[in-house]
Amino acid sequence: MKERIGVYVCHCGGNISDYVDVEKVCRAVENEDGVVLARTTLFACSDSNQNEMINDIKEHNLDGVIVASCSPKLHLATFRNVTERGELNKYTYVHANIREQASWAHSDDKTGATEKAIHLVKAAIAKSRYAEPLYPYWFEAEKTIAVIGGGIAGMKATASLADKNSNVVLIEKESRLGGHTAEWGSLAMTDEKGYELTERIAGDIRNRENIFILTGAEVISTKGSIGNFEIRIRKKPQKEGDPSEIMVMKIGSIVVATGYDHYSPKDGEYGFGNSDWVITLPEFKKLVDSSTGKILEYKGMRISNVVYIYCVGSRQANGGNSYCSRYCCTSAIHTAIEAKKKFNGIVNIHLNRGIRTYGKQELLYAESLQMGDLYLQFNEESLPKIFVKKQKMVIAVKDILSAGKELEVEADLVVLVTGMVPRSDRSVGSMLKLPKGRDGFYNEVHMKLRPVETVIDGVTIAGTCQGPKNISESVNSALSAATKSYSLISKGTLETEPIIAKIDQENCSWCSKCLNACPFDAISKEAVHNREVAIVNASVCKGCGMCTPVCPVDAIDLTGYSSKEMMSMIDVLV
Amino acid sequence: MEERIKIEYDALVIGAGIAGGEAALNLANTGYKVLLVEKDHSLGGKMILLSKVFPTLDCAACITTPKVSEIARHKNITIFTESEVTHVSKRGQNNFTAEITKKPRYVHVADCTACQLCEKACPVNVTDEYQYGLIGRKAAFIPFSIANPKAAVIDIENCTLCGACERVCPTHCIDFTMETELYELKMKTVILATGFRLFDPLEIPRYGYGQYKNVITSMQMEREIAPTRPYNTILRPGDGKVPDKIAYVLCTGSRDNTVGNPICSQICCMYSIKQAQLLMGALPMADVTIYYINIRSFGKGFEEFYQQAKGMGVNFIKGKIGKITEKENGNLILRYEDISSGVVSEAEHDMVVLSVGVQSNPAVSNIFDAGSLKLDFHRFVAQKDLMGSPSKTSIDGVFVAGTASGPMDIPDSILSAGSASSEAISYLSQPQQQ
Repeated sequence: MKERIGVYVCHCGGNISDYVDVEKVCRAVENEDGVVLARTTLFACSDSNQNEMINDIKEHNLDGVIVASCSPKLHLATFRNVTERGELNKYTYVHANIREQASWAHSDDKTGATEKAIHLVKAAIAKSRYAEPLYPYWFEAEKTIAVIGGGIAGMKATASLADKNSNVVLIEKESRLGGHTAEWGSLAMTDEKGYELTERIAGDIRNRENIFILTGAEVISTKGSIGNFEIRIRKKPQKEGDPSEIMVMKIGSIVVATGYDHYSPKDGEYGFGNSDWVITLPEFKKLVDSSTGKILEYKGMRISNVVYIYCVGSRQANGGNSYCSRYCCTSAIHTAIEAKKKFNGIVNIHLNRGIRTYGKQELLYAESLQMGDLYLQFNEESLPKIFVKKQKMVIAVKDILSAGKELEVEADLVVLVTGMVPRSDRSVGSMLKLPKGRDGFYNEVHMKLRPVETVIDGVTIAGTCQGPKNISESVNSALSAATKSYSLISKGTLETEPIIAKIDQENCSWCSKCLNACPFDAISKEAVHNREVAIVNASVCKGCGMCTPVCPVDAIDLTGYSSKEMMSMIDVLV
Repeated sequence: MEERIKIEYDALVIGAGIAGGEAALNLANTGYKVLLVEKDHSLGGKMILLSKVFPTLDCAACITTPKVSEIARHKNITIFTESEVTHVSKRGQNNFTAEITKKPRYVHVADCTACQLCEKACPVNVTDEYQYGLIGRKAAFIPFSIANPKAAVIDIENCTLCGACERVCPTHCIDFTMETELYELKMKTVILATGFRLFDPLEIPRYGYGQYKNVITSMQMEREIAPTRPYNTILRPGDGKVPDKIAYVLCTGSRDNTVGNPICSQICCMYSIKQAQLLMGALPMADVTIYYINIRSFGKGFEEFYQQAKGMGVNFIKGKIGKITEKENGNLILRYEDISSGVVSEAEHDMVVLSVGVQSNPAVSNIFDAGSLKLDFHRFVAQKDLMGSPSKTSIDGVFVAGTASGPMDIPDSILSAGSASSEAISYLSQPQQQ
């Protein structure tokens, strides 16, 4: 039982103290049993406060530490680390979340927010009294890393890992490497060809001793966890009729680089599917790249007027995709410039919703304006309409730039500037249980603190599977993910959280309820002294607690959240 | 700290903002010895001075302070603050020599307890650059409350050498005999994370910055709404009134050939939308209007953040501001081209925020042997292989992280730093040539 507890109540520089009276919270808990020190701090996470905490632990001989601040998702690790530097067992540290759960949730009720904060801190104190020291588990980690997806992001991640002397398995579903990038011709900003770029990088990863490339291969199942994943891969047979080959591999960490799909317009969306002369940006780009001669022809017709309709499948307040796809403005403008330079008589008309050529890409927009491209702008409320007038395709648009005038433009070809959507094949994400954001792309843990990690330890995300990106941004993300995956397992041993389910084998009578409740396949049946009981695989258990309440004989306790700790918290809260 | 200074390092990281710090941590966590050189008195760059950051509205300090703390205590990282790298020469693969000038702080950091007695004793008042000129500070001062190292500095330019600070200092850590120190150190690779400069709106006299007191920059507004804010509320500087009709002028110094900067700064739309949202929270009765050319909310969650601001009642007016004039009561008249009606209009606001853009920091090229570090057309560090290896520069073994290579937001800077450190680790892992 802890008798010398220190409590720190954080202002979070106003994030908390604007709504919660932190001084009042501090005074309300300073006389609680076992509390010997309670103080407020402007930023508990700042270096100076961290050092102060360490001094306090030593000076006041503290045996328990509590910080009442933000979500534990943000800083539980920070303060565990401080506790450890103060030479206490870091798992005895208890965190109280009075920002997300009090100040932010009740910004309209300062008295109530303060009251709730006091309760939350008292509950943390109650838990702290019973908090037992825990010790992490150490185990050997596999040092091979799997990269799933052989597009530009996956290939760069592979190269980067191999450079660091890791063994890498690159798994690509298609029969060739390069992903979408290999489908592009001339690229914006550098004018290198997409397929040349991917060939250059593929050349860098082929024939390297520590890279094993599998094309035409799919991950069909995964199990295990960081350091000890086991993945099953099905490789398409070389010849039709042959059986497909199944491989099982032991993997330490996984980089997911499964990319995106092009948005595919719905039937009839801006005439798509109804008219042969309504095509998507990727189709138009291929046409421009592959056409020779000075005249642009499509399906035997000469093309002069090209009308681009932007944000097709992006920025739809009421549609499926409310996000901006980021790359399409630049790509469309670059393609329009290419077409104009390559062929005679091209007139480009861009119907857009505000051009987003951010950063240096702005120069392309300026260049296209200088070349005489026409830009008309519409709102989402009044989308352009396509119809046929005197056998000509005509697009009517209410142009914001001319004070909302209804204008009509003639088109030989309409190009739908389509955005990026998440892969329709979500199998990798489902197998690994990767959470998705509202946009359907895989979610990082924290955009700024842990931008390439997922909540599944050991699985990082690279490139456009995390959200729309251009090539350069995908590569940055891929190299970051590769370094993260590498640093997770490069030491060869891994520490896991000791917060796991513990089974009282005396009481367990194997009913399989816990097995069914476990989302991580950490529980199995084993015979101990001729009795069937449940056992927990410590390296797989995440300590989620799903099994604890379903046990009919109360034989499961969660270390770090024992029944004793939880009951004492509940006593304070109710 | 002195005993930790080694003659040889694996990596030199120039600049300890969010990108440099991230790159240094990545290298240090992989086991490499890093020398991190910062010209300012504190780590954390511009980010540590921000309020909240888009699109998640995390408080910037809550992200930077623990990161900075981790950097400061990392056993593989040696930090030089108030130091400048004056020359780097490449002698061969994995072989760089850097000359570094460490300016005197006149305070022994290890002994300073940041008690602020020196601040109270100092009789000299000057403008506080960390509050972007909104208030004053002393010549003996702690840069800001969450600075790291959190220790006093003597601003020798403005110090009158009266000795008052020295007399009150309880730990005798103030030392006027400290001198500039010169180092020549060796390292195997270099990461440039020298960041960006903010556009100086004095270059656009028609906006009246510097002349009209209620025209401020977005960085000044950032300070007004930050947790370590100077006034504890939002005030307009002219007369201390709480503003209730605030205007944002986007693209100040960006997308503007008249100031020689045709490119887009990539961050101003979003930070202005963020500030507008925070202002709506802090001043529920205030009107906030954003004058824009195009809103560029292109990143993950950005468009949704823009829509959220619209939903909260932020006014968005498409139109470029031509001119700002001041009324007698300190209010400002904005003359603009109102695109929606197609006519030139005027609007009155009681405070104007200029959303200043990103400018390059080209001085970094001077530290390398003549012309060896290439800059691009806009004088950012040129990226040799933009698509294949975005952090590679014209010098093999020298990498670029964050805004040193062009405008980018914080998430992109962090990924760029991840990319640069990854390339640096790969470079360090190459078999050594004899």
